Amino acid sequence: MASLDLQSLTKSYGDNRVVADVSLHVAQGEFLVLLGPSGCGKTTTLRMIAGFVEPSSGNILIGGKDITTLPPWRRNCGMVFQNYALFPHLTVAENVAFGLQMRKVESIEQRKRVKDALTMVRLEHLAGRYPREMSGGQQQRVALARALAIEPDILLLDEPLSNLDAKLREEVRVEIRELQRKLGLTTILVTHDQEEALTVADRLVVMNGGHVCQIGDKRDLYERPADRFVASFIGRSSFIEGHIKGQGLFESTDGLQLKVSREINLGPATLAIRPERCRLGTSAQTCDNHLTGQVEFVSYLGSALDIHVRLGTQTKVIVQLSNQESVKEPQLGETVQIGWASTAGLLYPSDQGRESYGGL
Amino acid sequence: MTLLNANRQNKRGLTASLLIMPATAFVVLSLLLPMAILFRYSLNAFVPGKFMVDALTADNYIKFFTDPYYASVLFRTIRVASICTIFCLIIGFPLAYVLARTQSHFKNLLIIAVVLPLFVGNAVRAAGWMVSLGNKGAFNQSMIALGFIDAPIEIMYTELAVLLGIIAVNLPFMVLTLQSVIESIPRHVEEAAFSLGAPPLKMFWLVLWPLAIPGILAGTILTFILAMNAYATPVLLGGPKFQMMGTLIYGQFAQQNNWPFGGAISFILMTTTLFLTLIAQAFVTNKK
Repeated sequence: MASLDLQSLTKSYGDNRVVADVSLHVAQGEFLVLLGPSGCGKTTTLRMIAGFVEPSSGNILIGGKDITTLPPWRRNCGMVFQNYALFPHLTVAENVAFGLQMRKVESIEQRKRVKDALTMVRLEHLAGRYPREMSGGQQQRVALARALAIEPDILLLDEPLSNLDAKLREEVRVEIRELQRKLGLTTILVTHDQEEALTVADRLVVMNGGHVCQIGDKRDLYERPADRFVASFIGRSSFIEGHIKGQGLFESTDGLQLKVSREINLGPATLAIRPERCRLGTSAQTCDNHLTGQVEFVSYLGSALDIHVRLGTQTKVIVQLSNQESVKEPQLGETVQIGWASTAGLLYPSDQGRESYGGL
Repeated sequence: MTLLNANRQNKRGLTASLLIMPATAFVVLSLLLPMAILFRYSLNAFVPGKFMVDALTADNYIKFFTDPYYASVLFRTIRVASICTIFCLIIGFPLAYVLARTQSHFKNLLIIAVVLPLFVGNAVRAAGWMVSLGNKGAFNQSMIALGFIDAPIEIMYTELAVLLGIIAVNLPFMVLTLQSVIESIPRHVEEAAFSLGAPPLKMFWLVLWPLAIPGILAGTILTFILAMNAYATPVLLGGPKFQMMGTLIYGQFAQQNNWPFGGAISFILMTTTLFLTLIAQAFVTNKK
């Protein structure tokens, strides 16, 4: 167990910078998640830490020791892969023992540590099985036990849950988090799934286009997204294009006057609003921004309802209502009251972070 | 309902058998039948002047194994085929690995380059070897010119020349077989071994090699069978005195007109090849 530092880590293939100047510190025992869409450089960053990809520049330090040029087999990083990467010709116990054999751990100690690691993932009864005789979830737990058995300095998880079905994914990620906490393991997980990221992380790093967009805890990222990309990637936001008129006033391109609390410089800007911060109906009138609009689309999500409300020719806002008994589902085309507090709106200069991801 | 289903299944079965008929018929008529006839011939007697005489005798087989000359040809064939196969495996594996793992845009070109030797006919290839290995060939002349040797090294018409020739022909088969198997082994499995502390050589022996065994077996058997049955290369590069089983059989059929003995040698070659292949397979699967 040790801390990890990345110093201006960069990887280029020709002119293509897949990872650009990434610097971060991971404290001992911390669970850090690298989050971003595919091609954002998160996996390449992880593979550089593991030693499978050679950085173009920058340094990697584990426990303060520079390991940038060490080959993977001398780094003591436990790695869990998306497709498990178990050795198909070895039994579960042999898989877990592999790393211990490489470390020339004596056989009595080896057997004990294999047993301990398998007990941790609740698979001690399947030690004699071959990977092909197990389910995906079990295989991934073996892979985890195999990585834990070597008592790694850093545990690296490369989208370890994306091959599992939804139910199992939730189970295994809670299990990973509990184990990590119990063992005090410095852990880095790569994922594109924000829900997964929010469940397990102490701290998150949002990446896009090879850059780090924001580093922070869950609340930081959700409440104070650093840019438009983060606002669209973590949680959901409705975006309204327009410009700042000054004195806490924002005018949308189609002429809506909206109050805002956080000011940025005058000029073109984007206003972002979280769907669950909007109100509908009579309660909307208590908000300092309240308007009327037409219901354009309703999607029933079970625990919640998404109401798409058109406010102007170019402005549409999504309101999320939690599905209480009292909630009445609005009809399409119905005119409704909608409102949100000026403090709920986030403002971004328009020229920044335009390559938004899945914005609403 | 069930009747209808049964009917439909029958129809499907009929279509399937119709589709495999031509291939089956071809194999029976062009392979199994001639082999049966050949085997029958090998039990006939050969009387000089009268050629083949109907009989039911094991004399041809006894003659082969009691005459040290013929036994030595068999052993030479086995030796040449074994050396070629082992060499193809040793030099083919790294090449197959690189081909399997390369991300290069030129991967297909590289594969064509590996297969390229097969585009050239036996006679042309042998002529090439003569030009490069003969006493006045490129190799000897340049070695003499550079002063490394005084007299040319005799390579043509030796076992070495035959070995070189067969390896050159068989290597592509080995490389292509290994490449397809290595490609089917996920790169992540190798990386997992590295991350667990295995240096490349350990990773190779403990992970890559055992997982590649099916390909190694297929490639080895393929090249071994090809080498055991080599005909053109021993004739062209080994010269008239260098006999392997292939050349021996041809001689019996075409020059001596001794079909019974030729048939017997054919069956001895086939049986030996099959036997050695099975031994290799049992050995490898057992070890696993």
